[in-house]
Order: sequence, then structure tokens, then C-alpha cells
Amino acid sequence: MIAFRRKSGGLTDPQFALAIVIGVLLFHVVIIIVPLFYSFWLSLHETNVILRSSDYVGFDLWGEVLFEEETQTATLKSLYFAAISVVFSLVISLGMALVLNQEFPFRGVLRALILLPWAVSEVVTATMWTVMLEPSWGFFNGVLAPLGIVDEGNVWLNRDWALFWLSVAFSWHLAPLGTFFFLAALQTIPKDLYNAARIDRAGVISRFYYVTLPHIRYAVLIVLVVVTVEAFRQFDLVFAMTSGGPGTTTQILPLLIFRYNFQFSQYGLASSASFILIIIATILAVAYFVLMTKRSPSKRIVKSVKMPEMAE
Amino acid sequence: MNRSPNLKLFIALSVAFVLLWTIVPFFWMLWASFMHESELTEGIVQGIDDPTLDNYKRIFGFADKEAIFGGQTKLIANGFLNSLLVALPTAIISTVVATLAGYAFGRFQFPAKTGLLFGLLLTRVLPPVAILIPYFTMFRTIGLVGDPGGLILTYLTGIIPLLSWVLMGYFATLPIEVERAARIDGCSRLKVLWHVIIPMATPGISAAFIIAFLFAWNELLFAIILVGGTQWQTLSPALLAISPLTAVGYSPIALFSAASALSIIPPLILALIFQRYITQLNIVDPVTIRE
Repeated sequence: MIAFRRKSGGLTDPQFALAIVIGVLLFHVVIIIVPLFYSFWLSLHETNVILRSSDYVGFDLWGEVLFEEETQTATLKSLYFAAISVVFSLVISLGMALVLNQEFPFRGVLRALILLPWAVSEVVTATMWTVMLEPSWGFFNGVLAPLGIVDEGNVWLNRDWALFWLSVAFSWHLAPLGTFFFLAALQTIPKDLYNAARIDRAGVISRFYYVTLPHIRYAVLIVLVVVTVEAFRQFDLVFAMTSGGPGTTTQILPLLIFRYNFQFSQYGLASSASFILIIIATILAVAYFVLMTKRSPSKRIVKSVKMPEMAE
Repeated sequence: MNRSPNLKLFIALSVAFVLLWTIVPFFWMLWASFMHESELTEGIVQGIDDPTLDNYKRIFGFADKEAIFGGQTKLIANGFLNSLLVALPTAIISTVVATLAGYAFGRFQFPAKTGLLFGLLLTRVLPPVAILIPYFTMFRTIGLVGDPGGLILTYLTGIIPLLSWVLMGYFATLPIEVERAARIDGCSRLKVLWHVIIPMATPGISAAFIIAFLFAWNELLFAIILVGGTQWQTLSPALLAISPLTAVGYSPIALFSAASALSIIPPLILALIFQRYITQLNIVDPVTIRE
């Protein structure tokens, strides 16, 4: 850390930094906190679009949101979507990172390629996975039906499995980011450790458990949190791919809020439901922050994480 | 490397699997975009009898069939321009602001730093849909609905916290000695930032710029609400407007595939540049590097 106390430009270093940070945060206060308060005000008022009136109803709408089956179901669906996405993204991103950490020809090319799904938008992700899953002419049925694995015209996005396939598409889109976090962590593991483990006749699994895992524990945590947060925020992919259907089977909380707003003009109800989402997100953020700021178990590991990156 | 053939085979298979997992969806979307609609609806897993560029031509208005769709596809070409007009300013402004904020957070100690950091992070986890109506109402009051300025403003709030966070970790890893020397030689703080830090931090700052550009290019929700259906409609809502998944009435998937394929060209180029930088970003553990 710089510890200049010398005056320069009239400000001390902490003052300089604080001035910048407060500037940035003021911008955010105006553009986020103010709307949030307005949203809170809305959540206390029942709006009637036809009469163009809004009546103060206290926390009635909050209660309605908490105990209404529609919102409860949507919340559960959000949790399910997040849970499946977290499992898939973690497995896919770690798996890809372990593969890409091996030595093989054209490794650089593959490393560049695997980032591509992350770069395309959710709307395009939805297009691609629709091409894969479409019942009458899609890729999956086109390959699997002639082999007799699935029936002709098998509906993949059916009531039971639509949310599952959305999670798969979402993980396809998001996992590459996790892969790069893992790769950064994997590259910090000294090769000697693996050689030593090999001399001790440690198998693949125990090498992973005792050598790899301790070094990437932190990256695992971050990928977990990033995916969870993104899954709870996710709107674009679900809206573009199923719009909540079939029926309301993929109507996760953000979609329900969207419908309350723009289909039913229930601004109060939508705002109350938003706060449930905000509360879940805040709990996650607090957990994120606590875990991040907590000193990691071994400082040596943390140090070794950043050294090679500086060397490049 | 003394590897057994078995291990080599296993690695080869894993590499093949990773490759397939990544490119198969891309491949079939491109495949569909060269098909005639009638051929596509018979099944995508077949050779293309008569590969066509019609779908692409129609997007640029070079096909006779255009009249049938009421100029719908013009939305895509238009969306391209609008997305560029929105994504570029978003990326430039947010990178500048986040560079300053990231530098302040990454290099200095100041009162209430932890609290302020937390405030920054909290704005990141805020679900966009939760502030949709307030934004819409506010922007309608000041006349920013249907205006790209409103959209840019919204994107800035969404992306600046993330970029600051990423750049904070990055600045903390840069060697401090050069900076210190420059300061002792009498450079002002902003001069040091401009002449010393920014040249050193180019990879991180470029990565931040790309993240911001991709975010603005790809975003859908606010684009629908703020500019959807107007002349300023960006690419994502324009795509959705011709999407057979959501559009009312008949809408061709081959055309939609072609439009989607075109829309990913800028992101793909940026991603290829980006992957050189991303390994240098310390997103892994920005907070603990304080001492």
C-alpha cells in the first residue's frame, strides 16, 4: 500500500481515494437508491390502472406476495434453477479447466474457443439451444430418434424438464467464465507437488483431493457465488427461450415480476415481489462478502495466486 | 512427459468432449442459417441440398422476399447500429469511471473502505428486474424512454460496480515501486495514474472495456422496456421481435438463425482478444491482497 502522507494537490492519499470513491457512489445513490425507495413506496400502494389511483395499503402486498401460491412457486422455481445451474456450471467449468490445464497440441486454440459461449448473448444462447431441442426438426431428436433412444418428436422442453434444460443452456453460457477462474488458480500449483505426490504413489483421485483442491478452494467459492447471483438475476435467457412456459412451469421470480408489471400493471405487487428477490440477493451478497474478506486459510496460497500473473 | 497410452487417450477424449460441448450449438445454428426454411422444418440433421445466402441477404435488404415480412428484418440491421451506438459509449465511460474507482480501492486505504466496497458489491447483486418500474417511471418523467441516453445510463449503473471490482483486484497486483518513484519525482497523483499506472494496466483495462461492451451489446431486459419497438431498438430486442419463440404469427427460424449468427460476430472477435487478458485479471481474490 502506498503510504504517502505528503500533500500533493491539497489532498492526502486517503482523501484523494475517498473523493473518487464517493463520487462514484454518489452516482450510484442517485441511480439505484432513489429508484429503490420509489419501488418501496410502490410496494406499499395498491395500484388501480383503470381508476388511475393508488391507495396506501401498508404491508398488505408484502403479505400477499409471501403467502400467495403463485409467488411461492416462482421463488421455488428460482431456487431450483439456481441450484441446478450451480451444480452444472461448477462441474462443467472445473472439468474444462482440468482438461485445458493438461498439455496437448493446439491448447491455445481450444482455450480461446471455450470462451465463446460466454461472449454470446442470452438471446442467442436461447436460439442455439432451441435449435438443439426443437421437437420436430431439432438436433437432439434428429440424432437420437433414428437410433431409437427417444421417440420421434420427443418434447424436451416439457412441463417437467423445461427448467432443467434452461439450466443446461444457462450453464453452457456461463461456465466458461468459471473455467478461466479455475485455470488461473490451477496455474499457480507448483508442478513439483504433483511429482512428489506421484513418487508417493498417490492416485489420480488423491492427487486431485490433496494437491489440486486445496489450491483452488477459493476459486470454487467464487464460481459458486458468481453463478448463484447470476442465476437469481437471470431474466433474458428464460424470457427468450420459454417466456415462462409451457404454462407457467419455467416462470421464475424475475419473470413473474415482469408479468406483474407489464401484463397486469400490478406495480405494488411487482415491487413487493422484487423485494423478496432483493432480500435473497442481499443475503447472498453478505455471504459473498464475508467469505471474500475472511482471510483464506493459507496466506502462502493467496500470494502464490497473484505472483505468476504479474510475471506474465 | 512420461504418460501411459491410456492417459493420453483419456486426455484426447476429454479434449474432444470439451470441444464438442462448446461448438456443437454454434455449428447447428450456422447450419440452420444456410438452409431454406422448408428444408429446415423437415429436420436439421441432413445435408443441405441447396445452401442459400438468402437469409443473410434479407437482413441487409437484398432479397425479393422481403416485402412479405413487412420490413421486419430491417430491425436487425438497424439494431446493429443502435447496439453499437449504445455499447461503445457505455464501454468507454464505464471503463474510465471504473479505472478511477478501481485504482482508489486497489491502492489506497481510507476510512469506511470496507463499507463502501460492500455498497459497491450490493449494487452488483441487485436483480435488474427489481428496479425496472422505478427506472421506467423516472425516465418517462424526464423524457429518456425511447432514448439511447437512458439506456446507456442504465447500463453504466449495471456494469461500473463489476468493473471496479475487477480492476481493484488488478491494480492491487501491479508493482508499486514505479509509482512510488514517480511520486517522489514530483508527479501529481493523476499524472502518475495517466503516465505510469494506465500504461502498466493496459491488459486489465482492455479486459474491462470488453466486459462492458459485451454487457451492453447483449443485454435484453432494459432494452425491451426502454427502447423496445422504437427506432432506437438495440439488437437483442430486435432479435426477439423476429424470434419464432416469442413472435406472434409465423416467423422463420432460418432467418432468425442468420440474424443471431450475425449478431455474435462482434462479441466473438472481442472474446478472442479478451481471452489473452483474462488470465491476468485477478478476479480470484481481490480483497485479501491488501497488505
